[in-house]
Amino acid sequence: MNKGFKILLPSLAVIAALLAVIWLVGTDPTSDFVAGVPGEDRDADSESMVQRQVVKIGEFFESFTNRKNATTTENWPWFRGENHDNISVSKTPLIDNFSADGAPVLWQYKLGEGHAGAAIYNGLVYLLDYNEDERADMLHCYDLKTGEELWRRWYSVNIKRNHGMSRTIPAVTEDYILTIGPRCHVMCVERESGDFLWGLDVEAEYESEVPLWYTGQCPLIDEGEAIIAPGGTALMIGVDCKTGKINWSVPNPEGWKMSHASVLPYTFQGKRMFLYSAVGAVYAVSAEKEDRGTLLWAEKAWNHSVVAPSALGMPDGKIFLTAGYGAGSMMIQLEENNGKYSTTVLDEYKPRDGLACEQQTPLFFDNHLIGIAPKDAGNYRNQLLCVHPSDPKNIIWASGKETRFGLGPYMIADGKIFLLNDDGTLVIIEATTKEYRELSRYKFIEGHDAWAPLAIANGFMVLRDAETLMCIDLNKR
Amino acid sequence: MSDNKYIDRRNFIERSFRIGLGAAVAGTAGYTLLKLTRRSYVWQIDPFKCTQCGRCQTDCVLPVSAVKCVHAYDLCGYCDLCGGYFKPDANELSTAAENQLCPTQAIKRQFVEEPYYEYIIVEELCIGCGKCVKGCTSFGNGSLILQIRHDICVNCNECAIARVCPSDAISRIPVDEPYIIKGDFSFTNKS
Repeated sequence: MNKGFKILLPSLAVIAALLAVIWLVGTDPTSDFVAGVPGEDRDADSESMVQRQVVKIGEFFESFTNRKNATTTENWPWFRGENHDNISVSKTPLIDNFSADGAPVLWQYKLGEGHAGAAIYNGLVYLLDYNEDERADMLHCYDLKTGEELWRRWYSVNIKRNHGMSRTIPAVTEDYILTIGPRCHVMCVERESGDFLWGLDVEAEYESEVPLWYTGQCPLIDEGEAIIAPGGTALMIGVDCKTGKINWSVPNPEGWKMSHASVLPYTFQGKRMFLYSAVGAVYAVSAEKEDRGTLLWAEKAWNHSVVAPSALGMPDGKIFLTAGYGAGSMMIQLEENNGKYSTTVLDEYKPRDGLACEQQTPLFFDNHLIGIAPKDAGNYRNQLLCVHPSDPKNIIWASGKETRFGLGPYMIADGKIFLLNDDGTLVIIEATTKEYRELSRYKFIEGHDAWAPLAIANGFMVLRDAETLMCIDLNKR
Repeated sequence: MSDNKYIDRRNFIERSFRIGLGAAVAGTAGYTLLKLTRRSYVWQIDPFKCTQCGRCQTDCVLPVSAVKCVHAYDLCGYCDLCGGYFKPDANELSTAAENQLCPTQAIKRQFVEEPYYEYIIVEELCIGCGKCVKGCTSFGNGSLILQIRHDICVNCNECAIARVCPSDAISRIPVDEPYIIKGDFSFTNKS
């Protein structure tokens, strides 16, 4: 071989190798990567497309009878019943088993798609539906036993379907009915007549952010005051039910948001307070006369983007907090020292590690917690679970892998758990902390998404799926 | 003496062409009939059995799995909070990378109108890990599903993913119904 080639070929090989190394080192394989930044899902003019509708709350009314009252007397006046615990105080004996035909269906109505539940007061049923034909939040008053509609009051508001539209329960007292619509419109009417008293656009007045899938917070009436947790510029407000005057307002410097949970009254060592599991923190506001409307404590360790179950306070100061979408649960301990309140986180865990609930607030029954685990709870997914508050990760009983449920409601009446599954099947379970013992089940509705909390009075249960409201007679004969 | 009938060359060629043409027509018809009636099979995932274990991503013989996320739009809720797009407990519901569940950002989110968002799968980026499917199944309507894409799949005699699938969700199905879409409730082979 020519001597020149003998030098040239290795030289070219070395140069090629060097060029390859330079190319390898100098080339950034991620040069065409694009950073994921906020706002990529919206065009510049998206915001200008959104226009706020002016809503005249309580504008329309129609009466169908002169009758003002009904014959039954028991009440389920607001979210979770008279004692805010989802346990009926009624002594009325209820059936243990369904017959071949289930139980007598007294009446039923088609509703707008949603999950709003009923309140019952003196034999009358109150329900805030979203009427899709009228495009309106519509408060109905029905007779519990006959289903006859006595009156309705409504106002126009444009709502688009978003996993249903309505999802709150009115609060009812002898004098007032208080409602919150999907877009945070609060309405207070006189109970017997349905006369409009006042309205409040919480989103407009308090710069509140309407939660995903619309408002889930059920209103509370306490001592003649409407108790609302707006988020936005106020953590919580107390509104005079008679006049609509804002009696007190708790500032919200940290910008905690309204969740799907509801404000629940809670008493710890003789001190009454309003408990609320917000997006950002769980907190309590005094319900006592001397310092009503004062923020008592807040626990910021509880901070999840979607919170539907309400904070569940127990007599010993333990407060159970749970949420879905991967959040899991937290148990905190409330303590009082010279009038100052503080909290300690006792436990925090993911859904697969213990009792957690996605949508419904668990039951506190016989010093135990009972609730349905979410889909991301591993082996216990969608099972009804019972735990002791001292160790909510230790499952005392579970409904079993052959008996799973969805996001539907459950309550206790006459020593039995009544659980409505997503598909409209009502299940009767013995209320015990010993074991899961199912007594009977019957499919009352050929439906879906039966998520609205149940209501019961005088043995008449009001239940619904996404589109059908129904009253069944569960009285034992 | 001879019984042999004389055929001249022209007739012989004509007859040969006729026979050849007839055989060709009959052969084509037979072949077509065979193709139409014979059932070929391809591998596919039954979304009703799939548990999103992650093996579709790791066990396919191809360098990037032939399994991709498919969106059944008629099941989708078009939610702002999409369990298939956002990590559980995401800081905020924005398109910032830290909030996204997909490791390759293969899902694009587009605002439609309040309160709806559309979610589009960028198939070239999808690696078939199934994280989005798990999120959508756990927290949403289950409109995101995993499917073997037949323009990528090499249809091995023994599918490497089917061999390890813990829920036996992968089986051979007729080539004329090559996908099992959850939203298609006319499909009869649902488990």
